[in-house]
Amino acid sequence: METRPRFHYPKLVSHARYRWDKRREQHQLVFPEGVLVLNATAASIVQLLDGRRLVDLVAELNHRGPTGDVEGDVHEFIERLADKGLLCEGDVP
Amino acid sequence: MTSPYSLLAELTYRCPLQCPYCSNPLQLRNYTQELDTETWKRVFREAADLGVVQVHLSGGEPLARTDLVELVQEARDCDLYSHLSTSAAIGDESTFGRLREAGLDAVQISLQDSQPGSNDWIAGFGCFDKKERAVREARRLGFAVTLNVVLHRHNLSRLEEIIDLAANWDADRVELAHTQYTGWAFQNRAALLPSREQVEQAEEIVAAARNRLGRRPDMVHVLPDYFQDLPKACLGGWGNVMLTVAPDGAVLPCQTAREIPDLEFPNCKDHSLEDIWFHSDVFTRFRGTDWLPEPCRSCERKELDFGGCRCQAFLVTGDVAATDPVCHLSPMRFLIDAALQEADAAAGEFEYRTMSGTSQ
Repeated sequence: METRPRFHYPKLVSHARYRWDKRREQHQLVFPEGVLVLNATAASIVQLLDGRRLVDLVAELNHRGPTGDVEGDVHEFIERLADKGLLCEGDVP
Repeated sequence: MTSPYSLLAELTYRCPLQCPYCSNPLQLRNYTQELDTETWKRVFREAADLGVVQVHLSGGEPLARTDLVELVQEARDCDLYSHLSTSAAIGDESTFGRLREAGLDAVQISLQDSQPGSNDWIAGFGCFDKKERAVREARRLGFAVTLNVVLHRHNLSRLEEIIDLAANWDADRVELAHTQYTGWAFQNRAALLPSREQVEQAEEIVAAARNRLGRRPDMVHVLPDYFQDLPKACLGGWGNVMLTVAPDGAVLPCQTAREIPDLEFPNCKDHSLEDIWFHSDVFTRFRGTDWLPEPCRSCERKELDFGGCRCQAFLVTGDVAATDPVCHLSPMRFLIDAALQEADAAAGEFEYRTMSGTSQ
């Protein structure tokens, strides 16, 4: 089933921050209420949530090397972040 | 053994507010020496190296520190996620803008009540109007803003109004936390404990508000453990996920642990945070589950609540190593029930927190 993405220019809200935790050797997304530990796929998506077009984000990940259902992974992960209130629509150029 | 995730940096005990449930120590006059800027910066660097992810800049009133912007900048340079917990009672028009520029990530502003008169009465200081301006200014600057409201007998009847106010001020989140009875709150327990009816109504009011308002503001309702029969895992367990550095540099497993007289707290001026976290007597004594007494030791919930709150065990039973008396399995639960009865009979007068310490 085709679902319309909630954001066309997905961007992390300003109070959510990606960081690499040296001590624990893990990717993290930090926000006021906690820390989300990210796997490598999620980390690469998060670092591209800068307000670029969703289709460009998917293309960029595919360009880096196909690893299964990139588009599906992106949509699913973006939905999760949106549910937590961690995404907003970037400025439409 | 794991690293801590968060550091509560109590930058100062100074505060213009006199809230009768303050978590600061009763004998504030004993702790007037504050760490200097360079020492706080070193503490942040050590915390980051130890694995701390989030730093909560708190107090007292952290805006009373004239070096706050510099400290926020240092936290940012260490890649720490920084929160400011403030009453917003001091500071000027430019305060939040300068903090934003320095890299502050999130703002929590306390609110005592929904009405200016009762807010200022509970705070013992006129600050309601400044809070509204601060919330709106912080939102305008793009901060995520949490309003923290401590709930008790004297404001629970306005809970719905408090939530509506948070929505009206466009707060992202409102934390509705029933008073935790340690520190000044324990001193004022009989005056602050609500009735069971108030507590039950509060749950209905929050549920209805969630239905009515949807997702904004996000509501966190922290239930009062005196009215429940299971204890909370205080701060995720003693020496498990967080540590506190007090204004004078004492390093504490939690901000109210200083009330426990037979514990000695190492100072960050003498030892590294890493050394204190992993090796000090005070951090290791109640860590994990090996130290637990019965009925906790054989309880299936021991990995969930770690025997509950040590400060509460000490304050209520006199034994810091006892089962949290809130637990229905504690042989001392009758002391909690007696406190609830006493509060129902009390007139409800509280003593304000003052810098000179309690008069009792």
